[in-house]
Amino acid sequence: MWPYFPELLAVPVPRYTSYPTAAEFQDGFGDADGANALAQVRSSASLYIHIPYCEKICWYCGCNTGAAGRTSRLNAYLTALDAELELVAARLAAQGAQRDLARISFGGGSPNAITPLAFVRLLDRIVTAFGSILPHISVELDPRGFTSHWAGMLGSIGVAQVSFGVQTLADHVQARIGRVQPRATIAQGVEMLRAAAIPSINFDLMYGLPGQTLGDLIETLDGACAMRPERIALFGYAHVPDMFARQRRIDASDLPDAALRFQMAAEGNAFLLAAGYVPVGFDHFALPHDPLAKAATSGQLRRNFQGFTDDSADVLIGVGASAISIFPDILLQNEKNAGRYRMRVTGGQLASARGVRRDADDAIRAKIIEDILCLRASDLSRLDEWQALADALHPFVERGLAQLDGAVLSPTRDSAPYARGMAVLFDRHRRTSARQFSQAV
Amino acid sequence: MSIACDTCVVRNRAICSVLDTDELVALNRIGRTRTISAGQTLMWEGEDSALVANVLDGVLKLSTGTEDGREQIVGIVYPADFIGRPFGARAQQTVTALTEARVCVFARGDFDAFAREHPALEHKLLQRTLTELDRARHWMLLLGRKSAMEKMASFLLEMSERLVQNGCTPDAGPLDRFALPFGRQQIADILGLTIETVSRLLTKLKNDGVIDLPSRREVTILQRDILRHRAG
Repeated sequence: MWPYFPELLAVPVPRYTSYPTAAEFQDGFGDADGANALAQVRSSASLYIHIPYCEKICWYCGCNTGAAGRTSRLNAYLTALDAELELVAARLAAQGAQRDLARISFGGGSPNAITPLAFVRLLDRIVTAFGSILPHISVELDPRGFTSHWAGMLGSIGVAQVSFGVQTLADHVQARIGRVQPRATIAQGVEMLRAAAIPSINFDLMYGLPGQTLGDLIETLDGACAMRPERIALFGYAHVPDMFARQRRIDASDLPDAALRFQMAAEGNAFLLAAGYVPVGFDHFALPHDPLAKAATSGQLRRNFQGFTDDSADVLIGVGASAISIFPDILLQNEKNAGRYRMRVTGGQLASARGVRRDADDAIRAKIIEDILCLRASDLSRLDEWQALADALHPFVERGLAQLDGAVLSPTRDSAPYARGMAVLFDRHRRTSARQFSQAV
Repeated sequence: MSIACDTCVVRNRAICSVLDTDELVALNRIGRTRTISAGQTLMWEGEDSALVANVLDGVLKLSTGTEDGREQIVGIVYPADFIGRPFGARAQQTVTALTEARVCVFARGDFDAFAREHPALEHKLLQRTLTELDRARHWMLLLGRKSAMEKMASFLLEMSERLVQNGCTPDAGPLDRFALPFGRQQIADILGLTIETVSRLLTKLKNDGVIDLPSRREVTILQRDILRHRAG
């Protein structure tokens, strides 16, 4: 079991789905920045499509989403997505770049807030615009409202990976977070996906939820493992009602405290390893035959806005309102407001609105931070100030949470809960910023 | 012109085959048939109108214009195919007849609304759209082949499989003898090759005994396995 050192977990730290983090994004980016970034693309890129709508809005969720509501609103958004896809594909084509896409991921929100027919038409548009044969497709799904038509369609297309937002199987906790989805609903969804021969299913699960006990968590993990998803992501719930107004609906009086959160993460980790899962980064798990587990054990694991991934592409193009694009020297986020987003793209403008540039120093730091979060060895010597940082790592090294051999930082079996705490030492933006992030565990 | 569904040549295989007589009458009211001559691009009324269509007769191509002014073919459709891919002014996607063609067209919004009220049709619509997606991917794969010979061989195999559906007969395997609905220049345009290359490749396949060319438009596949091999 992981040892508990609360003094090393006291400071809130980012999740580092990128470096610099989205908190460093600035306004003042626009169409020209998007066009410049796309003009630099030489290798094959991956595409992320954001569907920021859900049938129902859950209280805990920190995503940029709205209720699906009227069909006309969804249709207007889909028309805008088509327009943006055309713009992006045309920019890539103008550069003579290799247009075939490495991967296409659909996230949200809930992609299954749209109809299967609308989804197929969206894919058809991607095939047409990018000349892609759609080699690797992944889709996030809401188990509520997931139908056999959806499952059959995903199977026909040959989708490689899907992710179910499960969160918790405990009824009383589901009620507390405004996401009621009986266990039978999830089991049926899994059965439909298996019948459609989807090779890899992920469950998103959470600890640290209001009213959740350690027993609830273990019971959820036990129930989840019985359905044998190829992947499990076990996230700590971040209660930041100042940032996400919808979280104000959650009664925060019995949120697990820091010590219990740590115990949940530690017991959860031990449970999943005993159940045959391989650790993937600091909070994901996968069965040994799954590509994500193979990426983790072979040192090929990557981290991006979707969490941990085995996608090796260096460019991720985000399409849709609020979607973030990753380019080697710039991170760009699309206009968040759906109305303004539509205006931009249907008016022939790329939707980039916020972002941050990355210089050579950022690239070195980003690599080190990614290494640490992926729980693999990292060479710190490319940073001029590495010796000062090695000193700062001392509290972790002396407690056996990492090893330092010269300039090479290596993880130990107890590193995972402290990885973000180590990573933040390499974040030059965090030294002065007092901005609040979620607890490290 | 209204649609005479009871005399439709593709009614057994078209998307609307799941409908009963009363439903066909209702569908009749929202659709119309159009005849297009070879080379004519369908010009749809209304800037934002997206249409869907059943192909009754003939062969058509779906294409988009790329930024640098080139044409990218994104699909070829045959009798009984359903053109459900969004096309029209907004989509910058054009549908052009390669041969004289007859199509039965609907405004997409009208057709979708009709489908929502008829679950069997809606399911068929999803299946057809999936088939179109599959064909589009297949097509991209064909165009993405490295050598000109791979493209040409793939194209001939595709023709032999797709032209078999002409008329109302049930599926009966690929054709070993068929008439190409396109001339050499059209094949060259579709495959992104020169007309000289197309002629040279066809001659080579003929000289190697893989195919025969009884007339300007006719093709006979003599050794399908070798043709498959050359398709890569």
